[in-house]
Amino acid sequence: MRTIAEINEKIKSGSVVVLTLEELKAKVAAVGIAQTAKEVDVVVAGTFEPMEASGAILNLGHTDPPIKIRQCWLDGVLAYSGFGAVDLYLGASQSAEPLGMAELNESEEPGDRGGGHVIEDLIAGKTVQLRATGQSTDCYPRATLDTIITKDTINQFYLFNPRNLYQNFIVGVNGGDRQLHTYLGPLQPRLGNAVYSNLGALAPLFNDPRLRLLGIGSRIFLGGGIGYITWEGTQHFPLQKRLPNDTPIGPAATLALIGDAKQMNPKWVRGCYFKQYGPSLMLGVGVPLPVLDEEVVRCCAVKDEDLVAPIIDFSIPRRVRPTFGLVTYAQLKSGRVKIEGKTVRVAPLASVALSRQVAQELKQWIENGSFTLTAPVAQIPDDRKFIAQEIWGSQTVLE
Amino acid sequence: MKKRVTLTFPRRMVQMPITYRLAKDFNIAANIIRAQVAPNQVGKIVVELAGDIDQLDAALDWMRSQEITVSLANREILINEEACVHCGLCTGTCPTEALTLDSKTFLLNFTRSRCIVCEQCVPTCPVQAISTNF
Repeated sequence: MRTIAEINEKIKSGSVVVLTLEELKAKVAAVGIAQTAKEVDVVVAGTFEPMEASGAILNLGHTDPPIKIRQCWLDGVLAYSGFGAVDLYLGASQSAEPLGMAELNESEEPGDRGGGHVIEDLIAGKTVQLRATGQSTDCYPRATLDTIITKDTINQFYLFNPRNLYQNFIVGVNGGDRQLHTYLGPLQPRLGNAVYSNLGALAPLFNDPRLRLLGIGSRIFLGGGIGYITWEGTQHFPLQKRLPNDTPIGPAATLALIGDAKQMNPKWVRGCYFKQYGPSLMLGVGVPLPVLDEEVVRCCAVKDEDLVAPIIDFSIPRRVRPTFGLVTYAQLKSGRVKIEGKTVRVAPLASVALSRQVAQELKQWIENGSFTLTAPVAQIPDDRKFIAQEIWGSQTVLE
Repeated sequence: MKKRVTLTFPRRMVQMPITYRLAKDFNIAANIIRAQVAPNQVGKIVVELAGDIDQLDAALDWMRSQEITVSLANREILINEEACVHCGLCTGTCPTEALTLDSKTFLLNFTRSRCIVCEQCVPTCPVQAISTNF
């Protein structure tokens, strides 16, 4: 029907027709798949949700005399430094280390700030304190470094997120008798509440279920700047069981993303903290889906009632947790689900309001010609095994 | 008219059937929003009083004369609109559904009159956008 090159021509000439997923689904309901596919060139999906498997690469630039950093803290958050002399990796879920017990006041837990907050601050242009120790060598004689940095005083600063954009996730509940603090927020005992974190029919990868359109090299909106899909994400699991509409019944595909953080906007990169679980990062990601044929529109027309997620009981702290079965996203978005005869209130964790804004912003970029589409240079694997960590060697048995 | 007040009882006053006295002597409907009352301890209740304006003032004066501390400045939940990302996580822990997401805009909606200031939303918020005024 149309190629990515043809779409890019239309973007340059200003005649491209772009719809958000919501607009597209409404159009399909009104005029059908064939007519929609004829009229629309690009569909944009946006999401804004916690993505803790994220982090930033920083290259400080060399000091004089130079240092080979072996340990480094940014605003008290440990950054990994076991590679290039002034290369750092700041993980979003790394907790700030307490500076000393005297400085902790009672109401504050240690570590309610973390890597995600430092990344947000840097993107916002704030100053961050850097403390580092080095290994003195003939090449790098300096032993310590104590300074302040901003995004403008460091050589490079980009997000490199090993796992983002989960294609489907789980619904968390707590069948036990005490409150649990999880990466989905607090879960009340005796099925007191349920939390889901995927946008369902608005989630980017639910609308390209077999990753036919997106692959390595696809250009995206990442945190308010330009980013790219670089690889399959960690825990990428394309072999998850699927419904006849090709959508997975639980966590499945994931993507690794990269993008220049110096261009990003703190509105779309927000440090966050889950009580008694730890810090994380909320991130806005927008994805363009080229309407190459009618199949693209058919996939993007998927509705919440056609998508399911498993309800998982977090009270059993094991790798495989018991499930209360599957529930549709239409049920989840109604605010209540029935579990074993009990009506349970459901809250989301992905922000629909901000996800819509991400989609609108990417739509504007494409319409005003500042964002063109790229064809993937390689597809994301669709048959990857999922290996759990079995523990070998002699085990200490705790009696 | 309605007035929301916080009452703090000295230990010896905990035995007094306060809502009965308010109804009987002042014709005031007392809706208990939140209470922490136990034998032989300082008690605290947040209560919404509904009745005639003069009767309300008379009731507050009477309670003060009984050494009940009456506070009109109530603890309230504050939402930082700038910080809120409208994720909706707080709506699942709010027991009175004072916090909801708008069904069309999906923006967070706070209905203050429903709030019982249980404060469960405060630690739930992942971006620390919810706090109390004191």
